[in-house]
Amino acid sequence: MLKITGLQASLGGSLILQGVDMEVHPGHIVALMGRNGVGKTTLMRTVVGFVSPRSGQTLLDGKDITGLPPHQISQLGISYVPQGREIFQSFSVYENLRLGIIKFKKKDRKIPAEIFDYFPILHERRNQKAGSFSGGEQQMLAIARALVSNPKILLLDEPSEGIQPSIVEEIGRILVKINEEKGVTILIVEQNVDLIMDIAKGCFFMEKGKIVAETETCHLRQDDRLITQYLAL
Amino acid sequence: MDLTSFLIQVLNGFNLILILLLVALGLVIIFGLMQVINMAHGEFFLLGAYTVVMAQRCGLNFWVALLFSAFIVGVVGLMVEFFCIRYLYDRPMDTILATWGISIGIKQLIILVFGPGGQMVTHPLPTMVKFLRIEYPAYRLFTMAASILIILITFYVLLRSDYGLKARAVIANRNMASALGINTRKMYRMSFVFGSALSGLAGGIMSPLMSVDPQMGLGYLIPAFLAIIVGGMGTLYGVLGGGTIIGGADSVFSYLISPVGAQIIVFSMAIVLIRLRPQGIFGKQS
Repeated sequence: MLKITGLQASLGGSLILQGVDMEVHPGHIVALMGRNGVGKTTLMRTVVGFVSPRSGQTLLDGKDITGLPPHQISQLGISYVPQGREIFQSFSVYENLRLGIIKFKKKDRKIPAEIFDYFPILHERRNQKAGSFSGGEQQMLAIARALVSNPKILLLDEPSEGIQPSIVEEIGRILVKINEEKGVTILIVEQNVDLIMDIAKGCFFMEKGKIVAETETCHLRQDDRLITQYLAL
Repeated sequence: MDLTSFLIQVLNGFNLILILLLVALGLVIIFGLMQVINMAHGEFFLLGAYTVVMAQRCGLNFWVALLFSAFIVGVVGLMVEFFCIRYLYDRPMDTILATWGISIGIKQLIILVFGPGGQMVTHPLPTMVKFLRIEYPAYRLFTMAASILIILITFYVLLRSDYGLKARAVIANRNMASALGINTRKMYRMSFVFGSALSGLAGGIMSPLMSVDPQMGLGYLIPAFLAIIVGGMGTLYGVLGGGTIIGGADSVFSYLISPVGAQIIVFSMAIVLIRLRPQGIFGKQS
């Protein structure tokens, strides 16, 4: 599905990604973990086209998407929920969702009704301003906005950040349900180990701009050495 | 002051306000979307008026010429975007210099071709309309109706259509808009063409009512900028309020004192307003 090889990228002169190799298989929920500043967000931003890589390659279903502009990458089926959600605060909930499908040709611009089965609150409050939502609700809106285009892969950057634990759990359940029912592949950057244990199948650990370990999430339950090594402060 | 001349002044004031809004609306769309401060916007107005002059000389009907003024200036906008502005999207300050240069170039070109003097446009509708015990030029009523219609259509497009939703998304959050698959460069180009065409059309509409000369653009560019700043940058409704205040004050004081006195008062008012409320009257504190 998504295959990254030898990806290098720099920001402001310093090399942040120092040769990232990882592969995300179709239909999986995979986590990317690591301490602050190891390059997780930069990796996401490079994959979706905001940062141009210095070298290396990103393949989506075998197609080379390295260095394409963000709007083309989005049109090829990668949906991105950035850190801090970045929903359009002054727009209505409906307009935010409509922006998720605006990249399609006019006749194909339809918000799939099933999105409201996963997020009923968005239907009830579709005419409300998105900025009036709580942090958790805004996160749900951002995820829904990314999903209405039926992407091949969904990239989530720290969806649990600044959201109360009960809502994080709910978002986790919804993500699993969407993954099982719709088969959407999900790559999720997280520091919240509990959430990852609950939802992810595999897990990559990143340090100093490289992937340093890869494991099945179920192994983490018995053996937390990787977590202490790459996450504990 | 008797009632009839008062009514005529009010109507003239509205006339000025509405044309100002057409010019300012194009400017604010271009600024909001692309952060480009288009100093050549006044010359687009001027080109619209000269397009009508040219078209009439070629024997075209005024109303056809009016459509041409929007179209030709839209094409000029497209060329300016293609050959100049698109290289400067990451350098907003440089766009001021570049568009200022373009403004001077257009003005000099017009002087070379038509000379520095004023040009005549044959008045398309010299009849007067009688209502409410006053007589008022029919063409001025047409300019008001046409302006209101164009402003309503522009707002409808921006607030209700998918194109408008895209444009507003780019204004609100350029990066997120592109992550949602919106080609921001294409949006910039379309909006620049649209904004230019609006200014050209405004120039065309005004051509029978004013002296068509190489300096006519400036008289609308500066009040349009003031309208945007007073109304508040980045708010679409703000420009309506700002335009009404600037245009309204200008016509009231022109009538009560003199056109020069009115300019002094309007500028001073704008300075005080910006000092007290830097974000503009309708702008939100950022």
